[in-house]
Amino acid sequence: MLSRGELDRAVALLERLDLNVAADVFLGLPMEEQETLFRRIPTAFAAALAPIFPYFHTYVLLHARTPADLKEIVEKMKPAERLMFFDDLPEQSWQHLMDELSGQAGVEAPEIAARPPEAVAPVPAPPAPIIEARRVEKSFDRPGGGAVQVIAPLDLRIESGLIVALLGPSGSGKSTLLRMLSGLTTPSGGEVLWHGEPFALARPNVAIVFQSFALFPWLTVQGNVEVPLVACGLEPRDRRRKAMVTLDSVGLKGFESAYPKELSGGMKQRVGFARALAVEPEILFMDEPFSALDVLTAETLRGELLELWLGKKIPTKTIFLVTHNIEEAVLLADRILVLGRNPGRIRSDFRVPMAQPRERTSAEFLLYVDYIYKMLTQPELEAQPPSGLAPAAKTYAMLPHARRGAIAGLLELLKDRGGRDDLYRIGDDLRMELDDLLPIVEAASLLSFARLEKGDVEITPAGLAFAEADIGARKDMFREEALAHVALLQQMRSCLAAKADHAMPLDFFRDILREHLSDKEVEQQLDTALNWGRYGDILTYDRQADRIQLYEPPPPVDAAAREPA
Amino acid sequence: MTAQDEKATPAGPPWAAFSPRIPPLLNDLPIVLAGLALIYGVLSLTRYWTGPINSQPVIRLDAAALPQYALFSVARIVSAYLLSLFVAVAYGYVAAHHATAERVMIPLLDTLQSIPVLSFLPPVMLAMVALFPTSQIGLELGAVLLIFTGQVWNMAFSVYSSLKNIPHDLLEASEVYRLSRWQTFLQLELPFSAIGLIWNSMMSVAGGWFFLMACEMFTLGARDLRLPGLGSYLQTAANAGDTPAILRGVAVMVAVIVLIDQTVWRPLIAWSEKFKFEQVEGAQVPHSPILEWLQRSKLLASVSRSAVLPAREALMLHFAKQRLSPRAGSNGKRVNWTAWALGIAAAVGIGYAVDRMVAVLSGLSSSGLRSILWGAGATFLRVEATLVLAGLWTIPVGVYIGLRPKLSAIAQPIAQIAASVPATALFPIVLLALIRAGGGLGIGSMVLLLLGTQWYILFNVIAGATAIPSDLKEVAEVFHLGRVERWRRLFLPSIFPYLITGFVTASGGAWNASIVAEYFRFHGKTYSITGLGAVISRATDSGNFPVLLGATLVMAAMVVTINRLVWRRLYSLASTRFKLEG
Repeated sequence: MLSRGELDRAVALLERLDLNVAADVFLGLPMEEQETLFRRIPTAFAAALAPIFPYFHTYVLLHARTPADLKEIVEKMKPAERLMFFDDLPEQSWQHLMDELSGQAGVEAPEIAARPPEAVAPVPAPPAPIIEARRVEKSFDRPGGGAVQVIAPLDLRIESGLIVALLGPSGSGKSTLLRMLSGLTTPSGGEVLWHGEPFALARPNVAIVFQSFALFPWLTVQGNVEVPLVACGLEPRDRRRKAMVTLDSVGLKGFESAYPKELSGGMKQRVGFARALAVEPEILFMDEPFSALDVLTAETLRGELLELWLGKKIPTKTIFLVTHNIEEAVLLADRILVLGRNPGRIRSDFRVPMAQPRERTSAEFLLYVDYIYKMLTQPELEAQPPSGLAPAAKTYAMLPHARRGAIAGLLELLKDRGGRDDLYRIGDDLRMELDDLLPIVEAASLLSFARLEKGDVEITPAGLAFAEADIGARKDMFREEALAHVALLQQMRSCLAAKADHAMPLDFFRDILREHLSDKEVEQQLDTALNWGRYGDILTYDRQADRIQLYEPPPPVDAAAREPA
Repeated sequence: MTAQDEKATPAGPPWAAFSPRIPPLLNDLPIVLAGLALIYGVLSLTRYWTGPINSQPVIRLDAAALPQYALFSVARIVSAYLLSLFVAVAYGYVAAHHATAERVMIPLLDTLQSIPVLSFLPPVMLAMVALFPTSQIGLELGAVLLIFTGQVWNMAFSVYSSLKNIPHDLLEASEVYRLSRWQTFLQLELPFSAIGLIWNSMMSVAGGWFFLMACEMFTLGARDLRLPGLGSYLQTAANAGDTPAILRGVAVMVAVIVLIDQTVWRPLIAWSEKFKFEQVEGAQVPHSPILEWLQRSKLLASVSRSAVLPAREALMLHFAKQRLSPRAGSNGKRVNWTAWALGIAAAVGIGYAVDRMVAVLSGLSSSGLRSILWGAGATFLRVEATLVLAGLWTIPVGVYIGLRPKLSAIAQPIAQIAASVPATALFPIVLLALIRAGGGLGIGSMVLLLLGTQWYILFNVIAGATAIPSDLKEVAEVFHLGRVERWRRLFLPSIFPYLITGFVTASGGAWNASIVAEYFRFHGKTYSITGLGAVISRATDSGNFPVLLGATLVMAAMVVTINRLVWRRLYSLASTRFKLEG
């Protein structure tokens, strides 16, 4: 906690530091303190610091100050840095900022800007965390010795009164982290504390809402909700009453005696909510709770959840939500964690101080969405690269799981759109989640058919040529690029070429990959490599014998007919 | 489960039209009567079981004796099944929950499952008589024990694999909500295993009839160890050449099997529908009028309300509270120790048994060994020849029937009933016919084996042919495939998985049946031919323990090896390459 005097001392201290170090220290503070501190910083120093922060962060911090200050800081920024900052901003935010700078602001002024600075001056003590993870990590033992690290050691404090969203690409260990925090899996290292006590000793009061609902199909709706209540040792009468009240609160009154299979997906997930809420959990964990639902149902349920939460109709103190839907995270969360992969680690942890209910079209909303998009699509864009992190020594370059047909489709789409588009917009138009879209884009850029830049994807000349080529020429181009850029395929080809019969059991490569990856991941990698290799006429695969063989051009009759559609 | 199971639901007996408006008292009357009959049956059974041993059993052939014999047979089946059920659930549960135990229990299960149980029939019966020399219960226990050994393993495996396949999120849900082990078992594990367990129970009980018939008509040389029951009734009738009695016996046997199917298994299958792990309700739901009638019963409802539900409630709450109490963590260690002690005891026991077996086997003479090897070869050839014969007629006929929906609608239930009549029950009758026709056991044993095997294959081939997608048939039509090409490209590959399923079951059945088929006492005369089964029976008869043990081990080893080397591989081939995926 910083008092007024300390704030001034802190500002003085920061000013003495090297600018980059100062920015580092500053970003290490909790969001509320950052805002308070930023208000005290002289405008010139603020203008020097601002370009170092991630642009969205700068944007939020700038709005912690009065409009006059904001204008002054922007004017004091170095022209080149100011230009870069403006350039980074998504169009709507940029427009909004321009309006503010030209004095027409106030239309959609963020809530923070309206707050008088003095009202929050005495910074409240950071509340004691409900769950605290200290250097937790998770790795899985390989059968042949060694281990695959899924989550690198990380620290995390989850405080009361927030909706925390955990975002990350697939394979970043989102679900594993949720399972460690909820006590379902024991971390391989470090510890998880529940109100300061080790998890094993405490009796943590948590509940999980599952993506697949995880209802018992042989029990009625009421029976399902009563399952955890039985485990709490409640007598039948109390159980029934509690179940009824909870079912009523999620809008399932009248469905008590229905079986889950009679219900729609949305109703099933309501049962999942009711079952979770019935035990009055302190933390409600949700593992992609809306992913299995259609768009409209998901939206309705999100709204209802938010209503329960904001109206304090549920005793839950904190909601921890795992999702791969960026808009969902920005819509619901007060705090967002972004995980990176290989191994999973926290890349970014920030507050979303927007007032509820949030408008999907508001400038600030889009600012956050765009920022997260850029972060997820650009591995090198770290919020703050943690210093002293050992470089990953022997990492295997992962193949993105994309079928070659999808890559071709993306390139054709890009070609039709003039060669460049915003990834967010492509995803929106194709109704694809980032999780599904990203591997395709990554594959295209791995094959140097496309380039990813700050959330935009641009087709390369090679990509354009590919999109315009006919089937036969495409195969050749694909083979060339795949052999030039995909290490696994290079490795496979050189191994096969070295053998007299040009054939090898796939298990050989399976074993090599197993040193780096989990079994499931190994299969996916091989699946993708075989899909690409077969398409590019690099190799053939005999599923019965589980062997791969170097591709030999067949006698000229039916060369094209062999390729499945 | 194989696909044909679903389709076999009969249209429903005439009383399906019962309206629910029948007065409740009248509705409950059959249940009350059934309860009274059950009590009377159990009373008379206890009187019989505790009675003195019947060294010269007289089997009456009049029709009035049949109900009693049927009751005795059913009682043996029921006790063996209940024992199997209990052991199967316990075995599967322990194997699924303890990784160390799993490593031993599952390979063991795999082996036990393919051992031909009937090769133990002679030694077990003799041992039980020696254990209880004065009471009938010894022989009864022997029969029950044999049936139990024949039916428990596939049930245990079904429980184990169900428990291992419970979806991960359901397990996580029960863990995060801190369900007690008992509650998890009752609300998650048992319901999830129910469907597999019920189907396997049906198969096990069908197999149980097969063993029971063999046990009931068991005579060894001059020793008459027959048990009063349907099996011995049929055998005695055939012995006496009494055709009306034979017909009566077969009719009662079929009636009992059909009745059990209708009053026990069909309602159970319809009931277990709610345990199907699906998120959306299926289009075709099996239903059973008897189940609906039981569910309407006021009497049963009040029994359930006043006794079953409170008991279940009390148990669940008791275990929940035990789990909530702070001492809950402490008994983990003790269980571990018990497990270790059990494991060590089992290892010592097995070690001792192996040691004794080696000691006995060392007494095996070279002539004994030769007879075992000759017998093994002869039985092997006989079994395989039977399978080929069965395949030769069932494949064309099965495909012919399966391709014609109207015909298969009639033939399928008939094949099902034919398959459910235990082949062992028909042995004496077939033998009688053969001897009258002038044939000997040489052809006789082949016919007997065929009787036990062909129905499984036919049944599966029909199911396979029915399942050939019509678009594939149309493709064959469009390309004008000739008869040979059509068989090679379409029919044989499509029915292959079904055919293998049929052959696996048939092969196991044939090995088992060979014991009874190669050595048979009839008309006071012992008929026998060269074969491993005959070697086993003769060795038991003459008390030649080295040969008995050696022959039993050889037979078990052969069946296990054939299963591993041939059927297992074909099976995995069938389930990968030849699977028609929708």
